Amino acid sequence: MTQPSKTTPISPVTVEVIGSALASIAEEMGEALVRSSISTNIKERRDCSTAICDAAGLILSQAEHIPMHLGSFVAFIPAILDRYAVADIHPGDIFIGNDAYEGGGTHLPDFVLAEPVFCENILSAWVINTAHHADFADRGHAHIFQEGIRIPPVRLVRQGVTEDAVQSMILLNCQSPTERLSDLRAQRAACRLGVVRLKDLFRKYGAPTVAAAGQALLDHAERRLRAAIATVPDGRYDFDDVFESPETPQPLPIGVTVSVKADEMTLAFRAPAQVRSSVNMTYTALFATVCYAVKAALDPDAPPNSGLARPLHIEAPAGSLLNCVSPAAVNGRINTCQRVVDLIHGALARALPARLPAAGCGAAVSALFSSDNMADHWIYLDVLGGGGGARPAKSGMDGVQQHMTNTSNLPIEALEMEYPLEVVNYAFRDGSAGEGRHRGGMGLSRIYKVLKPCWLELDGSRLATRPWGLDGGGEGMNCVIRVDGQVLDPVPPILHLDAAQQIEIHTAGGGGYDAWG
Amino acid sequence: MSWRIGVDSGGTFCDICLYDQEGGQLAIWKVSSTPDDPSRGIAAGVSEGLETVGAAMSQVGFLGHGTTVGTNALIQHKGARTGLITTRGFRDLIEIGRQRRPSLYDLNADKTPVLVDRDLRLEVSERVRSDGSVAVPLNEAELREAVRALRDAGVAAIAIGFLYAFLNPENERRAREIVEQTFPGVFISASYVVAPEFREYERFSTTVVNAYLGPVMENYINRLETRLQEQGLKVAPGITQSNGGVISFEAARTLPVRTVLSGPSTGVVAAQKIGMTIGEPNLITFDMGGTSSDVALLKEGKCRLMGEANVHGYPIKAPMLDIHTVGAGGGSLAFRDAGGLLKVGPQSCGADPGPVCYDKGNKTPSTTDANVVLHTLNPEFLLGGRMKINHDGAYSQIALLAETLGLDVMEAAQGIISVVTANMARAVRVISVQKGHDPRDYALMAFGGAGPLHAARLALELEMKRVIIPLTPGVMCALGLLLTDLRADFSVTRILPAQDDSVAVIAELVGSLRRQADAWFLAENVEEGARSLTFTADMRYAGQNYELPVAIGELDGVTAETIGHFVTAFRQVHTEQYGFASTTDPIQFVTFRVQAGGRIESANFPAHDDAGPDAGTALLGTREIWFPETGGFTACPVYDRSRLRAGNVLHGPAVVEQMDATTVILPGMTAHVEPHLNIIIETGL
Repeated sequence: MTQPSKTTPISPVTVEVIGSALASIAEEMGEALVRSSISTNIKERRDCSTAICDAAGLILSQAEHIPMHLGSFVAFIPAILDRYAVADIHPGDIFIGNDAYEGGGTHLPDFVLAEPVFCENILSAWVINTAHHADFADRGHAHIFQEGIRIPPVRLVRQGVTEDAVQSMILLNCQSPTERLSDLRAQRAACRLGVVRLKDLFRKYGAPTVAAAGQALLDHAERRLRAAIATVPDGRYDFDDVFESPETPQPLPIGVTVSVKADEMTLAFRAPAQVRSSVNMTYTALFATVCYAVKAALDPDAPPNSGLARPLHIEAPAGSLLNCVSPAAVNGRINTCQRVVDLIHGALARALPARLPAAGCGAAVSALFSSDNMADHWIYLDVLGGGGGARPAKSGMDGVQQHMTNTSNLPIEALEMEYPLEVVNYAFRDGSAGEGRHRGGMGLSRIYKVLKPCWLELDGSRLATRPWGLDGGGEGMNCVIRVDGQVLDPVPPILHLDAAQQIEIHTAGGGGYDAWG
Repeated sequence: MSWRIGVDSGGTFCDICLYDQEGGQLAIWKVSSTPDDPSRGIAAGVSEGLETVGAAMSQVGFLGHGTTVGTNALIQHKGARTGLITTRGFRDLIEIGRQRRPSLYDLNADKTPVLVDRDLRLEVSERVRSDGSVAVPLNEAELREAVRALRDAGVAAIAIGFLYAFLNPENERRAREIVEQTFPGVFISASYVVAPEFREYERFSTTVVNAYLGPVMENYINRLETRLQEQGLKVAPGITQSNGGVISFEAARTLPVRTVLSGPSTGVVAAQKIGMTIGEPNLITFDMGGTSSDVALLKEGKCRLMGEANVHGYPIKAPMLDIHTVGAGGGSLAFRDAGGLLKVGPQSCGADPGPVCYDKGNKTPSTTDANVVLHTLNPEFLLGGRMKINHDGAYSQIALLAETLGLDVMEAAQGIISVVTANMARAVRVISVQKGHDPRDYALMAFGGAGPLHAARLALELEMKRVIIPLTPGVMCALGLLLTDLRADFSVTRILPAQDDSVAVIAELVGSLRRQADAWFLAENVEEGARSLTFTADMRYAGQNYELPVAIGELDGVTAETIGHFVTAFRQVHTEQYGFASTTDPIQFVTFRVQAGGRIESANFPAHDDAGPDAGTALLGTREIWFPETGGFTACPVYDRSRLRAGNVLHGPAVVEQMDATTVILPGMTAHVEPHLNIIIETGL
């Protein structure tokens, strides 16, 4: 039995007090996950997220990690509840999934784990976390079957006991199984911690009060976002651009019409049919992108929970680049998502002059290095930020992660100790910022020397196009990648490097704001 | 030479604690701070304080002080013009940081400004590899050129940060010599000295902060030293550092970064000593002031030492007590957010204009105003009658807020207290539950101007059984200076497997730490009998990148058995923190640390004879106070703290007033005054 949502009136003070506790539990789960993990992608780059959901799977509190991961959280618990009767879900069960179509994920490397929380034998909440497992290197991306193992929601742990058959099948499909196992253990530790803390909360306030507070928190987020949307003048605002990436060098037209009426907003997207490469976005990825873009533009302090989505209506043709259907490949969806944020902000900038920034670097440029020697296998994922768009009253931020991601870099002193790579240069990219009264942010330059032969998979966007400025501000420089000084044009999605070769990545600068004079 | 003096120099007040070792007399003196030149206020306060007890400066045997000079220079960006010399290819590293944006959603947020301008960050050819070998030797000609350029640009301090200097300091050491020769007199801060640890950005950041504060601190220390000497001080004064211990002025001159978080640390030391005296070694300290609250956890009388923290936006690798700060204080402002919930803080009205009830222009109600409306604070006067307040002003502003929330005025006032309590409880969870400690196993020691006012409520929220209000809650940091020891920390990073064949290397590293500690004992004139050494190893499972500190106390020799002890202790700490510990995965040592302590004769608190349970002689009168427990105003006895005697028993609801603090005992709670005059509240849980 799921807890019916309560309508008992609850004091705004109690709601705030319980909201504060839920946020603190989600944060704590995140710290436990990062600190006990083994892979560089989680322990140093913090490519993971945690949240608390109600019994039905609505997100009550998401910790401030990676906005992209909201996509994994919104659909996973409903997907579990579709497949398993509540009577068949028990304390100590942990479910795992990653599939973009069946498992609630947005791409296969994000493994989602969720554990139910019971109060007096009633399923009362869920703790959930996702971690990007930097695996599945050197795979194809024609369709999702090439991209890695697909895991629907299945039990990884049954009442405290690991399902070895499930776990060993997953690990056999991974290239770094030891690392995967350690990271799964860290994810389980985060679940365990969340369950203990939530049980304390239930014991203290009682499940009905916590449930009522949870619904009130959703209502609160909804009211805040409605209040913010109401400040946008009613109307239809269009924005169109083109998307390109190493996998799709031919520019694809994408666009949005944002319609605002009173306190509701409809975002109708235009996109070509889904493509035979990994840049497609599932609906959940689009949902996460819209939630992020609207919250950042209109009310950055609104609580990150499912209530935010209520005043938003999303329309995108099924089977298109921005709302793909099985079996479209999705591994590289983040760069598409970054560009969708730019579309939404571009449209809103027309509705709200002098409120939104110009376009930032429009990508999360990734370099996935993997050994070409299966006997000595290693995988290293680097993701580079770039220039932020200039803001109405000041310049853009130099060299930071944009929008849908916010992962850390790996310290050079850790990178060189763990992998056969050397960093030759790491700097802001001079001359990359879009000009204007307020300049865009500078992109980043990073030069690596490869010490052992390896494969390198490159992903990104804004390679052939440039981030736009606003109010007459100039464009930022596009992203440029070189091998041993030679510009790669077009940038291939994968290439082989020999020892001593140098790879240079120069990410895009942000667009400028306001023409001079 | 029998007087010992502790001085806590803050933004508004300079607190002075004087203790006569022979007579056992403790005296307290407060003067206004002199922010333009803090040494003036300190020197004046010390001599006034001595006058009131009839002692002379020449009779002072110890003077320790805590200062916010470094912290303020960092917050206000008023440090020295600083240059950075770094490995070729990496001058922007200090600004790129960890590449994350400062706020996930706020597109207008900015990163904390870098303390060295981009044109003052110069690169030189040199490179050490990850195994410690030198790939490119230092190009000395380039270095000299860089130093000259920085000199011409007018820098007062130079930071040197090279990759892997923690592993092989050869290039940095040579660079430091050349800077000394080429630019005599400039303040130099080299990463291998300041923070010889792994992770370049955090190490460089610490080194730069150290350089940035160096000349400011030097100036301040010189002025203070001169003033105190002119007034006849015969001993070398000391200064607190972030680890809660005291170092000499000389040491603070070279490593000013270690004083940056010293502010709250001595309050924790005072709490620790009081806790030990009264048999309460397991404490959560709660120091609530005007704009923020600091919380720390003491297990068996010890506060965890951290190796790194983010201080006002700058990562700093320096030993510091694990103190967590939250923006919840007496001045925290209450408001209704766009979604209709009541929020309190982190915005604060500060001391000026202060809460609505100060009548100095602020119209947004604060925590203090809520207390005035509830009458938990005296609704007419504060500061022992010295300051008249406007209760009606506070009431009408909270009434306006209440209307927007659909609450009644008293519910709204109590709501502000509940929300601020939840914020503080969240801070306590960070240092307790998040580190594997259950707050219910600890007593809450509350101090600071507002701590005793909110402590009982916070204890209820965290289900804690006992609250301790020390005798002088308003001057705990100054008091802590009378109770703290000399302390210095030394560390060395070397990643080694925790197995038998590492014994020889570990023995050598431990030996080098011991030699550094011995040299420090000599420099600080610590006698043999007063010395102590505590060894700690930062350990992790191979592959993890976050270490857990494992303390092992004295280390006489290093054997296979020693390593076994470390491994067992590590697994235990790992379980406490993360809930699991593999018994098969390989474990590594990362950083070895030693804390050298020089025990100094410290103040002792005398025990008082039991005067019986009747507190009647301390009764000042009664006050109507609003409690949610009683659902309305209830007449409560008001006691004078200075007249409470050992053994007195107080039944809640009641309040105890003293000059700079008010203690609230909630309905149903009982309190007693223990022999050292601390108030112990039993929450009844």
